[in-house]
Amino acid sequence: MSRPADAMPESLSDAALHEPDQALHVEDLTVSYGTTTALWDIDLDIPPGVMCAIVGPNGSGKSTLLKTALGLVRPVAGHVRFLGRPVAQMRGQIGYVPQRQSVDWDFPTTARDVVEMGLYRRLGWLRRPGKDARARAMAALAELGMQDYADRQISQLSGGQQQRVFIARALVQDAPILILDEPMAGVDASTEAVIIALLKRLRDSGRTVIVVHHDLTTVQSYFDWLVMLNVRIIAQGPVAKAYTPENLRATYGRQLAMIAAPLDMGRT
Amino acid sequence: MNALGLGGIVGTVLLGAALLGAISGMLGAFAVLRRQSLLGDTLAHAALPGICLGFILAGTRDLASILTGAFATGALAALAMMLIIRRSTLKTDAALGIVLSVFFAVGVVLLTFVQGQGNAASAGLATFLFGQAAAILRADLWVMAGVGLAALGVVLALWKEFKLVSFDPEFARVQGLPVFWLEAALTVLVALAIVVGLQLVGVVLMVALLIAPAAAARQWTHSLGAMVVLSALIGAASGAGGALISAHVRGLATGPVVVLIATGFVLVSLLAAPGRGVIWQAVAARHARARISDRRVLTTLQGLATAHADTRYPAEGGMLKTALGAMPRAAHLAGLEARGLIRPVTHPPETTPHWELTSAGHTEAARLQDKLLPPQADTAPPPLARKPRP
Repeated sequence: MSRPADAMPESLSDAALHEPDQALHVEDLTVSYGTTTALWDIDLDIPPGVMCAIVGPNGSGKSTLLKTALGLVRPVAGHVRFLGRPVAQMRGQIGYVPQRQSVDWDFPTTARDVVEMGLYRRLGWLRRPGKDARARAMAALAELGMQDYADRQISQLSGGQQQRVFIARALVQDAPILILDEPMAGVDASTEAVIIALLKRLRDSGRTVIVVHHDLTTVQSYFDWLVMLNVRIIAQGPVAKAYTPENLRATYGRQLAMIAAPLDMGRT
Repeated sequence: MNALGLGGIVGTVLLGAALLGAISGMLGAFAVLRRQSLLGDTLAHAALPGICLGFILAGTRDLASILTGAFATGALAALAMMLIIRRSTLKTDAALGIVLSVFFAVGVVLLTFVQGQGNAASAGLATFLFGQAAAILRADLWVMAGVGLAALGVVLALWKEFKLVSFDPEFARVQGLPVFWLEAALTVLVALAIVVGLQLVGVVLMVALLIAPAAAARQWTHSLGAMVVLSALIGAASGAGGALISAHVRGLATGPVVVLIATGFVLVSLLAAPGRGVIWQAVAARHARARISDRRVLTTLQGLATAHADTRYPAEGGMLKTALGAMPRAAHLAGLEARGLIRPVTHPPETTPHWELTSAGHTEAARLQDKLLPPQADTAPPPLARKPRP
């Protein structure tokens, strides 16, 4: 993960807008872990107001792309802009839902408490969440049908409910951009329906929703924008244009047999 | 302190021990939640060379210089560990093991060297191996109280940030919190707790005073605040108890006694805590099994009644056996009978026992049937369900 010091010329104070018309703009991005190249020369534009899926096989760099965009992983080269600004200037304006398995759900806290964590930045130093934060957290939980579980200890929630709590934590920020890492992994059908309905509502209210997704069979019904990734960008654009058998083959290669069904769907 | 009736040496020792236990307990809660228990063990062992260096430089058993030395070599050990993990292919546990043993070895070499010099004051240094509460002086209390208050102040001021960083550091970074500095502050606080606790428990067993109160406290509560407070209380009780016992038995090192008391708290908590305790879970599981058996008997009787269009259909024992796969235990049926849900009847000319549902039994069976079909498919498992830890 080491990189030459001059690889990322922009400074944090660089306020010059760069592609302000794009919700997410990625240019010449290359990321490597040790000797493994995770992402190679990524150029990417996701316009505002779309619901975008990022798909690709395991190890294709989907999560790495999100983490690099969010500043969690340092790239070897390239840069990232959200609405024209570097991520450091967009803190608090990006709602992030990490993979559910990334935390210890046995942590001693309640569902509402986790959702309130989404407000900590806005509260600022030395201030405790009060009535206002409580009301906002309850409203966010209600959006996901979780209001009855607000005081439940988080280890007592099912996987789908935990995922809803995580999404409520991002929702409570009321951010213009929402980024979710595999939100539908391992959740039940009813939770998936609740999540998708909410994400579509957010999209329809003008927000940009970016989702790392693994289920090709639902790409066409859930999303209107698609990024196909396998270390490089294979295709990007409106789902109707990008979701083609050729692109699926190029993205998934030898795993093609396993995704024969979605390929057929792609032809119809 | 005299106002509290805690004058004299015993009062000083007790107060000091309780204070050290409380500090360790409070900060240990964060160390355990952040999975830094073994880092604590390494820091404690790595303090030994610092203790000896502090003594050599000061020439006396001056607490301030000894603690400064302990803190310095502890920090050096933490740095060495970080470098090994980042720059080599060694995993965390191997890095911890190497750093722990190297620093401890240097510490023992220095300790034996100092003791060989014949300085009378150096005799007290060996107490840092296993702790000696009796060595706590009244002047030391001010150092401990100062460290304790400072730690408490920082924890209160950064409470919500510490909570977020302990639960989900990645999310905290996306939020723009200075995660590196918050984690560093938590680690420094833990190191501080270890360094001041060394006098009581000693470098060898110090990690137990950090982990045990937190592990015990976690069993009793689902709130971070309550866990930290409870952990501090358990730490204080262990410290004071250990000091009291070792003060009354000549030559008994305090550390092992403190650790045994704290371990007692852990044992009781693991077994008996409501919700998470082993005994509690066994009892709850037993109740759950009994409820399921009840449900099966009642719904079977109801099914037979419905099939025969006779609400008072007398079911023979063999029918229950066939439907349930095994004959319900007599005590089980007697229990349902005592609750007025079923009643034994005769069905001449047959001589075998028969059972029928009472009207209360029908109501109960219908209620249980409804519970089998939850209105919402996605309901939480009952609180007693044990989730595998990730």
